[in-house]
Amino acid sequence: MESCPHSPQSPVVASGIDYAALVQKDRVHGSLYTSEEVFRDEMERIFYRGWVFVGHESEIPSAGDYLSRSIGLEPVIMVRNRQGRVNVFSNRCMHRGNKLCSRAKGSARAFTCDYHGWTFSLDGELVGVPYPKGFQKDKSDFNLNRPARVETYRGFVFATFNPDAITLDEHLGHAKPLIDRAVDLSPEGGLDLSAGWVKQRYCANWKMLPENDTDGYHANFVHSSFLRVFRSQYDAILGDEDARQSRVVDFGLGHAAIEPSYMYRKPFEWLGVSEDRVADYTACMVSSYGEEAARKMLIDGPPHAVIFPNLFLGEMNIVMFQPISAGEAVQWHTPMLLKGAPDSFNTRIIRQSEAALGPSAFLLADDAVISERQQLALQGHSEWMEISRGLDREVTRDGVTISHISDETTNRGFWSHYRKVMEQA
Amino acid sequence: MNTISRDTIASSGNTAAGCGNPGLSMQERQEIEQFLYKEARLADESRYSEWESLVDDDMYYWIPRGEGDFDLKRHVSITADNRNRLANRIKQLNTGLRHAQVPPSPMRRMLSNIEVCREQPDQYQVGCNFVLYELRAQSTNHLEIWPGRMEYRIRRKSDGELKMFFKKVMLVHGDTPLSSLAFIL
Repeated sequence: MESCPHSPQSPVVASGIDYAALVQKDRVHGSLYTSEEVFRDEMERIFYRGWVFVGHESEIPSAGDYLSRSIGLEPVIMVRNRQGRVNVFSNRCMHRGNKLCSRAKGSARAFTCDYHGWTFSLDGELVGVPYPKGFQKDKSDFNLNRPARVETYRGFVFATFNPDAITLDEHLGHAKPLIDRAVDLSPEGGLDLSAGWVKQRYCANWKMLPENDTDGYHANFVHSSFLRVFRSQYDAILGDEDARQSRVVDFGLGHAAIEPSYMYRKPFEWLGVSEDRVADYTACMVSSYGEEAARKMLIDGPPHAVIFPNLFLGEMNIVMFQPISAGEAVQWHTPMLLKGAPDSFNTRIIRQSEAALGPSAFLLADDAVISERQQLALQGHSEWMEISRGLDREVTRDGVTISHISDETTNRGFWSHYRKVMEQA
Repeated sequence: MNTISRDTIASSGNTAAGCGNPGLSMQERQEIEQFLYKEARLADESRYSEWESLVDDDMYYWIPRGEGDFDLKRHVSITADNRNRLANRIKQLNTGLRHAQVPPSPMRRMLSNIEVCREQPDQYQVGCNFVLYELRAQSTNHLEIWPGRMEYRIRRKSDGELKMFFKKVMLVHGDTPLSSLAFIL
């Protein structure tokens, strides 16, 4: 388990890099993937000051349940307090900086530091200091560091360390209905992310993950071996440019999607099964939403969309991107299990997840290696990366831009928002 | 899912440990070991179709996220291949277009601590430890180390040949970020 090759870390100071010069409408500079200075700016401007996906409420169902995550490079704990509210704290003792919690998940009544025994409540308050007579300061000045705001939408927990950030609602913008579309596939309108996460290491820059996940152009080439062996719901198998009906969509604010539903005519084409195989799930959906609405939801299927910067609604998976350094990232995924769906249907989702995502999957193993080759090729004299495809044929209406599945509309959407955020020095 | 019963999975925990092995002959043990070494060599050398010839029709190839108490019905795995999916995995590798293994990783693995338990006259449970060294020749050129434990179930067919019908690979680091794993563990 060697780690990826790292460039030397630079100190945490704003770099003065001219992002407007490096991110242009039709091309972006390769150094944006390799520079540790750029990476440091991103951790501050995107991951510390912006909204970031942290986890899902269903992962911590009971009071005291917690899990360890990170927001950019900041280790955090997400915990449910005694009143049932979700809190997020930095995973760092306020005394001498020891990591408070080293388990990935668990259940606790309070968090006690293993170094000198300082104890913090589930609300992050310093409640215990061993040998208190020797410590004169006010304990309330030593509550755990926490994001300025934590907000939840349909179970998805987001946080930002920026007190002046826009609201989560504003941040989600046109992408909010994508979350609804995913969650409403549950007959009870709730997700159950309890199947665990598989983590895949990329020796590549984190931005290649959202870029590749919303790139509709690569499938015929990166996934040619898949398309030869497996029956696929994607229309990449159709070689002819004009025959392809799928689209890419830029929702603004860096959120972008591949939309294969343009080619779906009947329910479950997105799952690659016939309706009769999953009749029990269909019955649950019809009883929850009515015949007509359920049928439309089951034809359209789940979204395939990235919510800037680190959440990917990956059809029947919830995916998150974890930046490690300029040259290393981790893609986490968990099957999107549906509350109220038959157990057999949820098991089917798990099996489909293993086929598509993760280090041994029939798709993602290849994507990851291509990203790593990009990263290697960019190590030398970085050149410009071309993203102009479809500029002349994409159509924008009400802030949403749609184009042919092979167009780089999604990548341009990501980068134009990136530039806006990164220019706020 | 339909090719493996709950019993098969449930009984696969801690294979062979504590098995008294009444009457297991040295020759049987040697045969099983030779089977494991051949299986390891074919996997190391990416000879996928020859490797597949060691597999029975009801094979399940499972890589859970480590040694924990994982349930195939409720938990996501790294790999969970029934026979049909395993066949497709090998077909995909044999296209020569599976980028994550083009070129194939040079690999060598060591098997040790082999314990054999005969559970029926012609059926064995086998457990062993392994370390695999993989050179990621198709991308970073790093030497990757994959340590863990294997559990097998193997039967003797009517023609006398041994075939495996269950292989579970528990990586020491299965719950941490893993590099592409498109080869056969």
